[in-house]
Amino acid sequence: MEIYYINSFQLDIFLKSLKKDYKIFSPKAIRKDSSLPDYHYNYLNEDNPLIFNPYRCREPLKSFFSPAFEKLADYFNSEKINYTEEKIIVLGVKNCDLIAHKVQDFVFLAAQEIDPLYKLRRENIILISSDCTDFKEVCHCLAWEILPYPKEGFDLNLSPLNEGYLVEVGSVKGRELIQRASEYFVPAKEVQISSRQVKRKNLEERLRKHVLVQNLVSKDIVQKLVKEGYNLDTWQEFMLTCVECGGCNFICDTCHCFLLMDKKEESKNSRFRVWDSCQYANFARVAGGANPLKTRAKRLRNRFLKKFDFFVENLGMPACCGCGRCIEVCPGKIDIREVLKDLAKKLEKL
Amino acid sequence: MENQTTLIIKNIYQPKEAMVEDIIVESPTIKTFVLKVKDNFEFKTGQFVELTLPGVGEAPFTPSSDPNIKDKIEITIMNVGRITSLLHKLSKNDILGIRGPYGRGYPLDKFMGKDILIVGGGVGLAPLRSLLFALFSEIDKYHKVVLRYGARTPNDMIYKKSLLEWAKMKKVDVVTTVDVGDATWKGNVGLVTTILKDLPIDLKKAVAVVCGPPIMMKFVTLKLLDLGFLPKDIYLSMEKNMSCGLGKCGHCRIGKFYVCRDGPVFTYEELKDIPDIWD
Repeated sequence: MEIYYINSFQLDIFLKSLKKDYKIFSPKAIRKDSSLPDYHYNYLNEDNPLIFNPYRCREPLKSFFSPAFEKLADYFNSEKINYTEEKIIVLGVKNCDLIAHKVQDFVFLAAQEIDPLYKLRRENIILISSDCTDFKEVCHCLAWEILPYPKEGFDLNLSPLNEGYLVEVGSVKGRELIQRASEYFVPAKEVQISSRQVKRKNLEERLRKHVLVQNLVSKDIVQKLVKEGYNLDTWQEFMLTCVECGGCNFICDTCHCFLLMDKKEESKNSRFRVWDSCQYANFARVAGGANPLKTRAKRLRNRFLKKFDFFVENLGMPACCGCGRCIEVCPGKIDIREVLKDLAKKLEKL
Repeated sequence: MENQTTLIIKNIYQPKEAMVEDIIVESPTIKTFVLKVKDNFEFKTGQFVELTLPGVGEAPFTPSSDPNIKDKIEITIMNVGRITSLLHKLSKNDILGIRGPYGRGYPLDKFMGKDILIVGGGVGLAPLRSLLFALFSEIDKYHKVVLRYGARTPNDMIYKKSLLEWAKMKKVDVVTTVDVGDATWKGNVGLVTTILKDLPIDLKKAVAVVCGPPIMMKFVTLKLLDLGFLPKDIYLSMEKNMSCGLGKCGHCRIGKFYVCRDGPVFTYEELKDIPDIWD
């Protein structure tokens, strides 16, 4: 689709003008020490002006579409329910987030029943993505053949260039948005587009070097590894430091499991959705006590089978976008890259 | 406000209201609940539903009633967990919620003209009773129905009267057993696998349907394979932690399947290469 150029100053004015109709979330840098800062989604306002995040934010994109805790129904009343949902713009989304979002779409939209809240948000939330211009140590999207810049799945995509951005239109929603201030958006020149290409390739090459030396498992063998590695001691070894916090699941942009929880509230009954984790002891337990995922090793294996077998079978892609969030969050230092490498190493020896 | 939109759409998580019309005590731990669902409720035999205890929570069950009856639904429930123990305290006229039906039931079209061996264990006879009703309503279409049912003790047997009635029906053959007998029991004693010999069926045109506790299903399946049944002709009802029923919440995965979406009825052929299916 079409590509425009806008300078930073105008982009700022443009976004401010959108605030009367949209809630805008934009990355905010949080620097703990001398290391690279983390970015969190925050309301765009005077205290949090627009900045460019060179890599993904800490929170998964799914938080905007199926929050950790929300009410799904009051019963008993009619089968149909009125939802009111705000229009939201999310800035600073990266390609890993968009790829992971295919998994969420598959779960909540493409199965036999459509999740009403998710669908509403999918329609109401505008995603403004951007190219990565740097990466974190844990970033390994390229290992899964996912590029550090998006080609689809966004409404608008920003690529930093000189004193502004190239803006690529990815959807009708995106086009409608920039038509509100078309005077700011100048059709991009060939030279600008090739300059974007050079920047993209440079980052891609830097990231490729970073990933190559790690000798990571590739997309085409990962399903075979988790299936054939079913009985290996890898699961037993890596679970030793698991404290069953569920962090890896909650921070993961492809993990989607949830619990339905009912409550009595005064005279009505309500049903809530709460994120669940397959690393919790009772995840698969049934009435009467049988529990197919009784041990931590089985639950760790479950996480990998779900990502690299179930979704490959059902969706044709592994449910990992290489964002590395689960690596950063794990207090037990369980590294998804290392688990897969261990399987590969041990299977090679057999 | 301008920056808000509303959407009116079917809420898939919303239960329908159902009234407890009657409660039948089947055994010291098992009761059948006769429910009248607001607006009729239809299901195919073998499909399951989510029952809501209002304000408390849900649990999955497979109805035990005749799928041809639309204005009522019967669900036979064993008191084994948090929800089921509370369900057992219900009285007539209490209100429950119900969602569904979900999943893939028994493929009756594949049973046409066949000898149908039905093997039940304990409360596992509940979904099978629904299947039996469905078969009986069109018995001409099937060659023979052979029921083999085992319970732990005579006291744990459910549908005792019906079992006697079914045994008298044309084209129907019923044998029961208990693991441990008592003073009044004059029938077979032994695991259900012990009454799977000399079956009055023609293996060449037979299918088997098994429902019961996982350990029972495991050994019955092994026995059936031993007898010469093909994996594709053995139908199993899998019990997993089905919560949403919609293929979304993720709790009931086995291999590449969700039990709620792809099951709960599977052929052994579909499951045999998945490790630990009986856990």
